[in-house]
Amino acid sequence: MPLSDPFATALLDLLPRLRRFAVGLSRDRAEADDLCQATIERALRNRTRWQDGTRLDSWIYRMMRNMWIDEVRARGRRGQTFIADELGSDVGADGGQEASAMLGDVDRALATLPDEQREAVILVMVEGYSYKEAAEIVGCPVGTLNSRLVRGREALLARLGEAT
Amino acid sequence: MTPTPEQIAAFADGELSGSEAALVAKAVARSPRLQAEVASHKALRARLVAHFAPLLDEPASPAHLHLLRQEDRVVDLAEVRARRRRWAWVAAPALAASIALAVFLRPAATSRDYAQPDLAGMLDKQLISQQRKGAEERVLLSFLTADGRFCRAFSTPNASGIACRDDSGWKIERAASGGQQYGEYRQAASEADVMQQAQDMAAGPALDAAEETKARANGWRSRD
Repeated sequence: MPLSDPFATALLDLLPRLRRFAVGLSRDRAEADDLCQATIERALRNRTRWQDGTRLDSWIYRMMRNMWIDEVRARGRRGQTFIADELGSDVGADGGQEASAMLGDVDRALATLPDEQREAVILVMVEGYSYKEAAEIVGCPVGTLNSRLVRGREALLARLGEAT
Repeated sequence: MTPTPEQIAAFADGELSGSEAALVAKAVARSPRLQAEVASHKALRARLVAHFAPLLDEPASPAHLHLLRQEDRVVDLAEVRARRRRWAWVAAPALAASIALAVFLRPAATSRDYAQPDLAGMLDKQLISQQRKGAEERVLLSFLTADGRFCRAFSTPNASGIACRDDSGWKIERAASGGQQYGEYRQAASEADVMQQAQDMAAGPALDAAEETKARANGWRSRD
């Protein structure tokens, strides 16, 4: 579906990755879709603030990440919790029983991480950003990102077993 | 050397360079334990990537596509696109706060059809490009109507609206009354509405700085 507006086209190309990141942050498909929707709306509204020639994906990831943090904080103030926290919802592929049981393990393991470790793990290990890029998206020093990442992946390894 | 856990992870991620990479590589080569650590880091990454990969193949949400197509329809025609971009640039700050409250413009009251001296003076003289940022009284934008009149959208603490220049002065075409009672939201909301109205009245894009300067030099009465 080619669009005549290059900005909308670029967003369209990013959609699958944005949704993956939203699922990684929120650990829930419905939450992720809402987060995507809100992010797209904000990106379209603020399109003039994006500097042509800089990376659109980082700009939008940062936007999505900040919106999610705001949402988490707002819910914390309202005393709401996430259903997904305890259950660890299945966000991975459909498939046979065995496959989905295995995928469930990853979701549950990710759900045990503190938010800041999880976002570091997701940005680097799933989204494929370099430490520097991930730190820019999160808005923290590279060293901080690095140590969150190490703590997060060690917790995952401990939980998922060395024989990943 | 004994690499730190951070260095081992960074090594597995290909994030090290230069002498640090060489030193860690050397240490890993000597140690089966470190080799196993590097391998499990790589395996973990592969497992996470595989876990989330199916999401990339799922069809996009109709709601998300709708948003993007909507954006696209607006800019479908080249002329509308050109106009839209310029408006968006000017209107963005006002629109951001506009969701909170909708304010409807009423037709200007007949007894005050023309701008009073203070407002008229501002409309005559003020160029947007030289406007102080955050000024209480300001011109939001200037444009030409299809019948060739120059119009300017304005905002003051008491009123916002659109005035068009004719032989008698600045005729108020649209007005929304004062912004005090609701504070900033009220003002932003009425500005957003004024911008929307201006967009409906305009025959083309908003005037740029050079066009405004020229229009002012001609007393907002002629295009040349």
